[in-house]
Amino acid sequence: MNPSMLIGRSEVRLDAQEKAEGTYVYGMDFSVPGSLEAVVLRSPVPHARIVKIDASRAESLRGVHAVILGRDLPHVFFNNNLEDQPFLARSVVRYHGEPMALVAAETRERAAEAAALIRVDFDPLPVLEDPELAMLPESPLIHPQWQSYVVDPQVRRGGNVCCHTILTRGDIEAGFALADIVVEGDYSTQSVHQGHVEPRVAIAESAGDGTITVYCNTQLPYWTRTQVARLMQMQEEAVRIVPLGIGGGFGSKLYAQIEPYVALLARRTGRPVRMVTSLEEELTAGLPRHPTRTHLKTGVMSDGTIVAHQTRMIIDAGAYAGSSLEIASIGALMLTGPYRLPNVRMDGFSVYTNKTNFGAYRGPGGPQSLFALEQHLDVLADALGLDPLELRLRNIAGDGDELANGQVLQGVGLREALLKAAAAIDWGAAAQANRGKGLALGWWTTTLQVSTVRASLEAGGKVRVRVGTPEIGTGAIMGGVPQIAAETMGIPMQDVIIEVADTGSGLRDWGSQGSRTAFNVGRAARAACQNLIAKILAAASGALGMEPEGLLLEDSRVSIRTDAGTCISLAALAATDAGGELIAEAVSNPEPARHKTERLSSAVYPAFHYPHFYCHACEVEVDPDTGQVRVLKYAAAHDVGHAINPALIEGQIEGGAIQGVGMAFMEDVRYRHGLRENCTWTDYKLPTIADAPDVESIIVEHPVPGEALFGMKGLGEAPVIPPPAALANAVYRAAGVRITSLPMSAERIWTALHARGSTEAESAEPQSSR
Amino acid sequence: MSAHRDVVLEVNGNRHALRVDPGATLLEVLRAELGLRGTKENCLEGECGACTVLVDGKAVNSCLMLAVRAEGKKITTIEGLARGGELHPVQRAFVEEGAVQCGYCTPGFIMSAVDLLESNPDPTDDEVDQGLAGNICRCTGYTRIRRAVHAAIRHGGEPA
Repeated sequence: MNPSMLIGRSEVRLDAQEKAEGTYVYGMDFSVPGSLEAVVLRSPVPHARIVKIDASRAESLRGVHAVILGRDLPHVFFNNNLEDQPFLARSVVRYHGEPMALVAAETRERAAEAAALIRVDFDPLPVLEDPELAMLPESPLIHPQWQSYVVDPQVRRGGNVCCHTILTRGDIEAGFALADIVVEGDYSTQSVHQGHVEPRVAIAESAGDGTITVYCNTQLPYWTRTQVARLMQMQEEAVRIVPLGIGGGFGSKLYAQIEPYVALLARRTGRPVRMVTSLEEELTAGLPRHPTRTHLKTGVMSDGTIVAHQTRMIIDAGAYAGSSLEIASIGALMLTGPYRLPNVRMDGFSVYTNKTNFGAYRGPGGPQSLFALEQHLDVLADALGLDPLELRLRNIAGDGDELANGQVLQGVGLREALLKAAAAIDWGAAAQANRGKGLALGWWTTTLQVSTVRASLEAGGKVRVRVGTPEIGTGAIMGGVPQIAAETMGIPMQDVIIEVADTGSGLRDWGSQGSRTAFNVGRAARAACQNLIAKILAAASGALGMEPEGLLLEDSRVSIRTDAGTCISLAALAATDAGGELIAEAVSNPEPARHKTERLSSAVYPAFHYPHFYCHACEVEVDPDTGQVRVLKYAAAHDVGHAINPALIEGQIEGGAIQGVGMAFMEDVRYRHGLRENCTWTDYKLPTIADAPDVESIIVEHPVPGEALFGMKGLGEAPVIPPPAALANAVYRAAGVRITSLPMSAERIWTALHARGSTEAESAEPQSSR
Repeated sequence: MSAHRDVVLEVNGNRHALRVDPGATLLEVLRAELGLRGTKENCLEGECGACTVLVDGKAVNSCLMLAVRAEGKKITTIEGLARGGELHPVQRAFVEEGAVQCGYCTPGFIMSAVDLLESNPDPTDDEVDQGLAGNICRCTGYTRIRRAVHAAIRHGGEPA
């Protein structure tokens, strides 16, 4: 493999012009004539028994075509590692905003009017908001029937703890016995919402033959199909998911939400049915990031060598397990970091509370872990009298090092990322008054599993590349994949036609998520194009009178290697392909990373595949009178293995970093007495351009060996992970207060500044002992 | 439901005689009646800026303006910016500078930037930030949007 022509160049993505012209079709722009509009009736209370539900007035309203209640559904649950979530609440509601009923009507207004006429009598149950209280044995159970649920048998759980993950290595007590200094600390993180600008939307059509088609802006069509089929009690093949253009997902559009509902309503009414999740509903009951609380205790020798590292993370799962089981595993991997740690114990608890079931927001579990770990390491550095950069240089893993889970790293660009990010903010130079510098580093996974691509030669010598998963904005599908296909085929990028196929194509794909899209779909596209080239050379062989081995495909034509003048164009080959033979398919499904199974238990995500390494460094200024923070410099270095398209990579880094800035300072999904508080974008603050510093992106390239194309690693999620930690470390250096809870609002910083010196404030500070 | 009203709206230089619900927003009429779906819909309460259009040259959240109030004014949407198949310099800059990711906020940003540059052809970074602070982008982190606005200034404010 010799990437040369296009790989590594900042080509303009294929969808940019349509998007700038306003002609690109998103889910919200799609319509099916004659559609009914539907709404969800959501619980106004956080935890209650449904005593009685009466929909008769709603059903009799003119223009209403269907009202569906929980009791009308088959007794099935969403298909997670732990099957605990009904599609509609039946006898109990467990969070504010939980779906209780569906209404389809001629207009959305009429459907909403009908939903408001559904009378529900509740018998209140105790509300559990605090996961630490919820996990106490005497707490009431949110799922009294928890033992009856279908679950991945490896999962350790009990009562309100829906998963207890353990990671151990070495002998933790022996490690602490070796330590010269032991530092302990507690950190907590809030929930933040993905903040995609396009709402979630789905339209379903039921056909006369019993099949169902759902058009929707999902990130993961095949998994959505599984959920729709489950609720409809149909074979998956009878359900077709048609992915539409997506205006931002970040994990919010990963799991099925409204898609099964419109399918059900379409079958019930015999009409197409459309549903849009309003911003208020989205902010009330979407799938935002899991709140966490983390305790860390680390023993270090006076030379800075870490000898014992014990952590405990409590993950607020919300009312249903959802993806929280994975977060417990990811917490174990993130809290042990890409560090050389001989003696480790990590306990991750996912705990039910009466809140929305938190979900997979970009880099799930990542920012929460680093906010704790990377601040803790700065405290440790101070206790040792070491520069935080130096402490990290002494403990980070490199090529050949084994991490706590037993996986051995290769192609590690961490040291380079760390040094380059630090250099970009003049780490060694003293900061002025009220200013300070901070950094944070980490690692992240490239989610694997299947991607399938079909490539075909088309009229005019263009190549059609059909993929089974949509473009979600990153440019993986409309930038990276066509670039890889064009490179492989020896054609200009403009001659690649990308077609996002629906699930009827059979092009199975694990979706546009998990930093996997460019890695896996790109890999499948490369292989499909190589298979297509073999067929093209065979076809050209007859025309040119030369065996395929003697032929060369470049510049959109096949020529004889020894006689470049004797050639046939791809356009001519396409024109003679009457039988449609010039089509080829390939599947990518790489081997997962190896780890030591005996070190982990109840871990559904035990290793990071083709891991990516990064370091963010920043300088901030804190106004001592107001607590307001200004970010002066922000540098983000990412080891991507091999850069396919630097401009797209920098776009991911910049965008992720600013989402992380939002989490650090502004964003907060707030609950009070179990009720969601700030459900508009006036009250839930997202960074605007005026809040966003320019981000300096630094691309580091340490190719990873194995099955990775060109040595590349996944990128999309990682940039959101380190900002809260790096910024908190900088705030501490600037203002002398360590903020251990997110968000670091001006109010919280001001309060910490003014409480300094009082014993109450100090008791909350991380402690070290000699 | 109140009685419908007849209005004439001038959108992208074309006059459209329409019968609209007096409660209908300009956004609803643009998208549903005129099929101009480049103007995007999200919050419906003036927070996100995705629905920004120009009304007599000024950037307006079309979700907050009643369609009947737009009568007699010149409305420009994202579909009305290109001239003779040539992108407006602001559109071209967004494409070339990588300021487009998911793109859902892009039309609104471009309309706001066009308004900004017409009233202030050489804005400082702070003025760019103030001019575009009513639009939310969750993908780009804004670095490249800022860069695109400066590139558009270099391309010259007027369409080819």
